[in-house]
Amino acid sequence: MLTAVKNGLRVCVLSIKYNIMREMVNKVTFLTNVCFMVLNNASILVQWFILFRLREDVGGYTFREILFLWGLTAASFGLSHILFARAFSLSELIIRGKLDSYLVQPKNVLVSVITSSTDISAIGDLLYGVALVCACRPGVGGFFLFLLFTVTGMAVFTAFALLLGSLSFWFVRMDMLQGQMIMSAVSFATYPDGIFTGISRFLLYFIIPVGMAVWHPVHVMASFDAGMLLTVLGYACALSVAAVAVFYRGLRRYASGNLMEARM
Amino acid sequence: MQAITVENLSKTFRVKRKEKGMRGSLKAIIHPRTEEIRAVNGVSFSVDKGEMLAFIGPNGAGKSTTIKMLTGILYPDGGRVEVMGIDPTKKRRQLAYQIGTVFGQKEQLWTHLTPYDNFRFFGAIYDLSDRETEKRIEELSERFTLRDFIDTPVRNLSLGQRIRCEIVASLIHKPKVLFLDEPTIGLDPVVKENVRALIKQMNREEHTTIFLTSHDVGDIEKLCRRIIIVNDGQIVLDDSVEQLKNHYQDKMAADIHACNNEHGKAEKNGESLNVSLEEILVDIYRSEEDG
Repeated sequence: MLTAVKNGLRVCVLSIKYNIMREMVNKVTFLTNVCFMVLNNASILVQWFILFRLREDVGGYTFREILFLWGLTAASFGLSHILFARAFSLSELIIRGKLDSYLVQPKNVLVSVITSSTDISAIGDLLYGVALVCACRPGVGGFFLFLLFTVTGMAVFTAFALLLGSLSFWFVRMDMLQGQMIMSAVSFATYPDGIFTGISRFLLYFIIPVGMAVWHPVHVMASFDAGMLLTVLGYACALSVAAVAVFYRGLRRYASGNLMEARM
Repeated sequence: MQAITVENLSKTFRVKRKEKGMRGSLKAIIHPRTEEIRAVNGVSFSVDKGEMLAFIGPNGAGKSTTIKMLTGILYPDGGRVEVMGIDPTKKRRQLAYQIGTVFGQKEQLWTHLTPYDNFRFFGAIYDLSDRETEKRIEELSERFTLRDFIDTPVRNLSLGQRIRCEIVASLIHKPKVLFLDEPTIGLDPVVKENVRALIKQMNREEHTTIFLTSHDVGDIEKLCRRIIIVNDGQIVLDDSVEQLKNHYQDKMAADIHACNNEHGKAEKNGESLNVSLEEILVDIYRSEEDG
């Protein structure tokens, strides 16, 4: 069992290493992608800076909490796209019948699939997120909480993408819905939860999991609450288990395909 | 000893049907219509260890679907499959250590990596140690003459070189059964001949069972002794290539004999009839089409 896990990890590490090697083939594109992602993220913060010169808080958040919010969103989203980028385009793989090569390998299909690609600009997101939180001087405990929530946020974003993508086993053209829902999650995650009330707040906690991926963690980082921390951990685990279960349930319906293709 | 046992294997796909034009598209939203297509319908056969079998048929006959069920890619709707004594639906990962697959139309290799890096990756997938992988790469690159391009990225290789690398990648873990789905598609005659020779050599030296689907008659004639023809998801013929040829030569001779007698022509005794396998297959496919 331990050997199997060790061997599985060895393949994952190799897969991620090869993904990054592929992206690094073109050094200029690699560096510009990373740098422009950092700049792109930073430019939006200017708006918040101006806003906080006019008001003391927005939706119950101070500027420091907005920085936590942006840092955590960028780092979680970045990490999920560095390690598990393929989860975010799973729909397309299912619709076009591209899971065959993973199914004939003696490794966990899901892990092999989702680690088979890396979004290189996500390195910029991760670096930006870490830099932003470090700039807030959260202290050692706060920084560890940030690392923990980056991992839970990554799990929630990846599981959400996986869950939506897996629905393609049953419904066609889920790729569009998957893309839109993920973009919504990321967009909403960069605003304070206090501005959302009623049904929109309900949706952002229970349908699009922004609340558990980012808002709750930011509250815990701003003012520690063990109950909230456990809720986030429990939610991340439950959503991941549900997403994996839906994927494997759907895999039985996988219809493959006969399109000519190459592993790029 | 049998490498593959298949009993009453079936697979049905549900396909959406839509009337033509925009109106049909709108209608399909309100009243979606689906149709069941039986891709494989009660197929049974077995393959001995070390045997080289051609599993052929016209497009859409159910060849690829069968191969995908044998390798654990697709779940059958009914029937029983065992490959090297393992049920692919229950122990897919265990089975993967015993089989190798080459899909001529689908690449398994990472195109930006060199064949060497790819082989190292496949070695890790099959839990080989670095030393074992190195030894196997050495052995296979010698046999498949890959030395000149083993350090060139796959995307810069010719199709023939790439297919050789695909085969080597699928052999890295010494599989007991090799599934080849159109392995020579798009290759020039010389490269085709080389690939066939290598497959034959591998079967001889490592006693690998070969399960081949191909539209190329040369692949079938030069590699396989036994042939299974499928159409509409069912087996229509299971015979040796030799027997099939003899049977058709006899049949043609009888037809000519009957035709000559009918027209009162004299028989040409002693003239041997030479029917190619391609002609035989076209005849079988056509007669199946005509029902």
